[in-house]
Amino acid sequence: MTLETILQVAAGGLLMGLIYALVAAGLSLIFGLMDVVNFAHGELMMLAMYAVFVIWDASGLDPMLQLPLVAALLFGTGMVIYRGMIARALSVQFNRGMVQIFVTFGLAIFIRGAAQFVWGGEFRAVNNTLLSGRSWNLGGVYLPLPQLAASVVCLAAFAGLLLISRTEFGKALEATREDRDAVALIGIDRDRIFAMGWGLGAGAVGIAGVMLAGFYYVGPNVGASFALIAYVTVALGGFGSMLGALVAGLLIGEVEAFTAVILEPSLKQIGVFAVYLAVLMFRPRGLFGKL
Amino acid sequence: MDRRNFMIGAGALATAATARKAQAADDVVIGVVYPLTGNGAAVGLDAKAAYEVAAEIINGSHTPIGVSMGKGGGLDKLGGAKVRLVFADSQNDPQKARAEAERLITQDKAVAIVGSYTSATGATISQVTERYEVPYLAADNSSPSLHQRGLKWFFRTSPHDEMFTKGMFDFLADIAKKTGRPAKTVALFYEDSIFGTDSSNVQRKLAAAAGMQVVADIRYRAASPSLSTEAQKLKAANADVILPSSYTSDAILILRAMSEIGYKPKAILAQAAGFQESAFMQGAGALAETVMSRSSFALDADKLRPAIPVVNALYKAHNNKDMNDNTSREITALLTLADAINRAGSAKPEAIRAALVATDIPGSATIMPWAGVKFDEMGQNTLCNPVIQQVFGGAYKTVWPFDLAAKDVIWTVGT
Amino acid sequence: MDNFITRRRRHELLVAAGLLVFAIVAPMFIKDVTTLNVIILSLLFAGLAQAWNILGGYCGQISLGHALYFGMGSYVSTLLYVHAAVPPSLGMFAAAAVGGLAALLVGWPCFRLSGHYYAIATVVVGEIGYLLFLNWDYVGGATGVYIPIARPSLLNLQFGKDKLPYLHLVLAFCAATWLAAWVIEGSRWFYAWRAVKDDVVAARSLGVNIFSSKMAAAAISGAFTGLGGAIYGLYVGYIDPDSVMAGHFSILIALPAVLGGVGTLWGPILGAALLIPMKELSSSYLGGSGRGVDLMLYGAMIVIVALAQPQGVVSLFRRRAHGPA
Repeated sequence: MTLETILQVAAGGLLMGLIYALVAAGLSLIFGLMDVVNFAHGELMMLAMYAVFVIWDASGLDPMLQLPLVAALLFGTGMVIYRGMIARALSVQFNRGMVQIFVTFGLAIFIRGAAQFVWGGEFRAVNNTLLSGRSWNLGGVYLPLPQLAASVVCLAAFAGLLLISRTEFGKALEATREDRDAVALIGIDRDRIFAMGWGLGAGAVGIAGVMLAGFYYVGPNVGASFALIAYVTVALGGFGSMLGALVAGLLIGEVEAFTAVILEPSLKQIGVFAVYLAVLMFRPRGLFGKL
Repeated sequence: MDRRNFMIGAGALATAATARKAQAADDVVIGVVYPLTGNGAAVGLDAKAAYEVAAEIINGSHTPIGVSMGKGGGLDKLGGAKVRLVFADSQNDPQKARAEAERLITQDKAVAIVGSYTSATGATISQVTERYEVPYLAADNSSPSLHQRGLKWFFRTSPHDEMFTKGMFDFLADIAKKTGRPAKTVALFYEDSIFGTDSSNVQRKLAAAAGMQVVADIRYRAASPSLSTEAQKLKAANADVILPSSYTSDAILILRAMSEIGYKPKAILAQAAGFQESAFMQGAGALAETVMSRSSFALDADKLRPAIPVVNALYKAHNNKDMNDNTSREITALLTLADAINRAGSAKPEAIRAALVATDIPGSATIMPWAGVKFDEMGQNTLCNPVIQQVFGGAYKTVWPFDLAAKDVIWTVGT
Repeated sequence: MDNFITRRRRHELLVAAGLLVFAIVAPMFIKDVTTLNVIILSLLFAGLAQAWNILGGYCGQISLGHALYFGMGSYVSTLLYVHAAVPPSLGMFAAAAVGGLAALLVGWPCFRLSGHYYAIATVVVGEIGYLLFLNWDYVGGATGVYIPIARPSLLNLQFGKDKLPYLHLVLAFCAATWLAAWVIEGSRWFYAWRAVKDDVVAARSLGVNIFSSKMAAAAISGAFTGLGGAIYGLYVGYIDPDSVMAGHFSILIALPAVLGGVGTLWGPILGAALLIPMKELSSSYLGGSGRGVDLMLYGAMIVIVALAQPQGVVSLFRRRAHGPA
C-alpha cells in the first residue's frame, strides 16, 4: 500500500466522518435534552434529501443554495413532531423509555411509506450541481469538492450549535437538561424549549441531508444505513455530548475507511462496531458521556 | 385522467364488445410476486407495469404483434379466456414471498406463478409451487442454485448468472481477437448478497480459465454510506476491466466515487442489475458513458426483432420509460407462460407443465435477441444467449455479438 | 394477599388451558391457507414476544438484538439437518441451547451498560452477527441454505401442504413460553427481576445480584428465541441472513410485547394477535398497489397504540377487571 493510497483513504474517512458527526449531533442534542432516542432520525435526513431533490428538479436551484430553506423546513418538521407526538410520549406515566423508542420507530416506518407514496420507490440523484464532479488534487490525493463543502458546512454547523449554547436560549436549554422540573419555577417554558430542541436536532440532520444530496442518491430507505452509524456515533461519543459526536464521527469515519482496506470492504462496519464495543468496555457511557 | 388510465380506459372500450362473448370462458389467473414496497420496490413497480403490458398484448384486441401470443383476444384454445394477473407484494422477504405464493395458489386459484426479482424470494416461491404442484416461471431470478435443485415445477426463461458471465467472457475473448488488445487483468467488485456472490464465483472461475489475472477481489457491503475506500482499492489495482455486480444505488455511488478520486477505469463491464436501470443513467449522468453491461435484451435490435418498438411503445405509454433488461424478460416470461397455457388448451397445472416442457418458441417470436425459448430437463431455458451493450450518449447500444451490433464497441484497453 | 395471588394464578392457568384447547381445535375447521398462515405467524411471534418479554419486560433490559438468537437458532437446526442429518425435531433443542448460550455471551459484556447504551449495544451486536453470517461461506453466506423438501414426517417436522401440524407445533412453542413466564411470575426471580428493572440501587441494597439476575433472564429469553428461530426456518424452508437475522426482526420480536403490554403474562399474546394479522393482511391486500400504504398503516398503528395505551392493550382489560389502576 502506497503512502498516496493511505492518505487518500484517510481523507475519505475524514470527509465521511464529518457527515456522520453532523447526523449524530442532532440525535445527541435531542437525547441530551430529554432522554429520547429518535429512531426516525435517518428518515428526517431522507426527507431533507427528497426536499433538495424536488426543489432542484423543479427549479434547478443548487443544493448549496437550498441550505437555509431546507434546514428551516426540517426545523419546523422537528417542532411539529415534538408537539404532535413526542410531548405526549413524554407525558406517559409508565414505560416511558419503551414508548418513546417505539413511537419514533413507528414514525420512521410511516415516513418511509409516505415517501414511497409520494415519490415512488425509484432512486433519484441530483446532478450537475456547482460542485459535482470536481475535485482538488493535492499531490495525488483527491478531495472531492461536494464532500469538502459538506465538511466545511458540518464544522460550521457544529460551531453554530456551540454558539447557540452560549445564548440565553442555550442557557435555558442547559438548565432544562440539568433539572426538568426546577426550570418551570424560574419561568422557563419547558415544552417550548423541548420543541426548539427538536427543531434544532432535525435542522442539524437536515443540513447533513442537504449536503449529502449533493453527491449521494436519494430513496425511501436511504436513511437506514446512516441512522445505524449515527446511533453508534452517539453512543460512542456519549449521549448528549456535542464534542463526543464530533470526535466519535471522525473516529468512525477513519475506522470504517481503514477496515475496508485492511480487511474486506464488506466487513468495514464490523470494524466500526468492534471499536465501539471495545470503548464501551472501558467507558460504559461513551468517550465524553456524563449522562 | 393521466395517460395510463386513458390507456386502460381505451383498452376497456375496445374490448367491451368482445368481452360479453368471452364471458363463457373463465379467466385464467396467474399470480405475480414482486417486491412492491421496501428495498426492491423500484424494480418491482416496473415489473408490475411490464406484466400489465404483457397481459394487454395477450388479452386486448389490437393489430397482431409479431411475438408469440401477440395476436390478442385472449387464449383462443380456451375459448378466448382472458389471462388475469393477481399481484402480490413480497417486500423482498422470502417468508412473505412464500406466504403470498401460497395465497395466490389457494385463494386466487392461480394456475401458475411468475416472479420474483431476487433469488432469495425465488427460492421460497419455487418450494411452494413444488409442494402445490403448480408451475413457477422465474422471469428474472438469476441464481444458478435455483434450477440446480432439480425441481419438477421450476422453469426459467431467463439466463442465470453462469450463462450471463460466460457471455461476458466470450465477449472479452472476441474483442481480444478483433482488436489484438486483450484484457489481461480484471477487478471483481460485487455486493455481499446472493447475486453478488454467485456472480463473482463464476467470474473468478472463468477469469482463471481465460488466463486473466484477478488483481482485485472486492466484496462490499450493499447500500453502504460510502464507497470511497472501495474506489481507492479499484484505483490502486487499475485492472484492464472492472466487473461490477451491483444494484442501482451502489452502481451510481461507485462511479461517482471513482471519478471523485480522479480514476477513470479503462473498461467497466457490468453484470447488468443496477447498471441497466434508468435511475442509474439519471444518477450517473456523464460518468456512465462507455460503460459496458451484459444484457439479455437489446432495445436497438429492432431490425432483427421488429416487434420490439411496438411492445416498447406500449410499455412506454404505460410506465413512461423504455423497456430494459428486467422488464423485457418479464414480458417474455408472461408471453411464454400464456403460450404454454394456450397450447395446453387447459388451465390444469399438470397440462400447463407438460406444455411448458414442450415449449419451443423461435427467437423471432420473442422480443429478445435470444435464439428462442426451450427448457432443458431442469427447467432452464438453454437458448437465451446474452448480449453486451455500451452506453453512448446516455443510452445503451448493443455492441456484441458483432453481427447484432448497433454500434462499434469503444475498447481502449491496451491503447 | 398470598391467597389472592394463588387464586389469580390458578385462574390464569385455567384460562390458558381453555385457550389452548380452543386453539388446538378451532383451526381444524379452517381450510383457508392464508388464514392458517396468519395464525401460525401470530402464534410464533406471540411466543417470541413472550421470550423477549422475559428479558425486556420482567427484567427491564430493552434488547433490540434478539434477531441474533433467532437467526442462530434457525441456522443451528437447519445446518445440523443439512450437514449432519440430525432431524429438526432434535435439532431445535440444540438451537435453543445455542440461543441461550449466545444470549449469555452477549449479556456478559453488555449488561454493564444501562438504558439506551444497552439498547444500542444490542442493536450493534445483532448487526455484527448478521454481517458475520453474511460473509461466512460455511453457513452458506449470502446464498443462504435450502431445507430440502422431505417426505412429511414428525421426525423431520415437515408436513407438506398440510398446515395444521405446523400450527400445532408453533402453538406448543407459544404455550411453552407462556408457561415459562407463568412459572417465573410465581418464583423468587420475579421479585428480584422487578427490583432490577425498577431501581438498581434499591435492588442492590436488597441483596439482589443484579448481574446474575440479568444473565438468568437472558439465558431463558435467548433459548426460547433460538427455538422459535428453528421453527421459523423449518416453516419457511429457506434461510439466509437477510430473512432470519436482519435488524428489523429484533423490532418485530419486541413489538407485540410492547404494544400488548410489557412485563405482563397476556400482553405479548394480545399484542401478537393484533399486530401480526394487521401487518400480514395489510401487506397482502394493500401492498399490491406498491404505494407504501401498508407501511404507512403499520407505522401509524404502532404510534397510535404506543401513545394511546402506553401500558399496552392489555391494560384495557385489566382496568375493567380491577377498576382504575
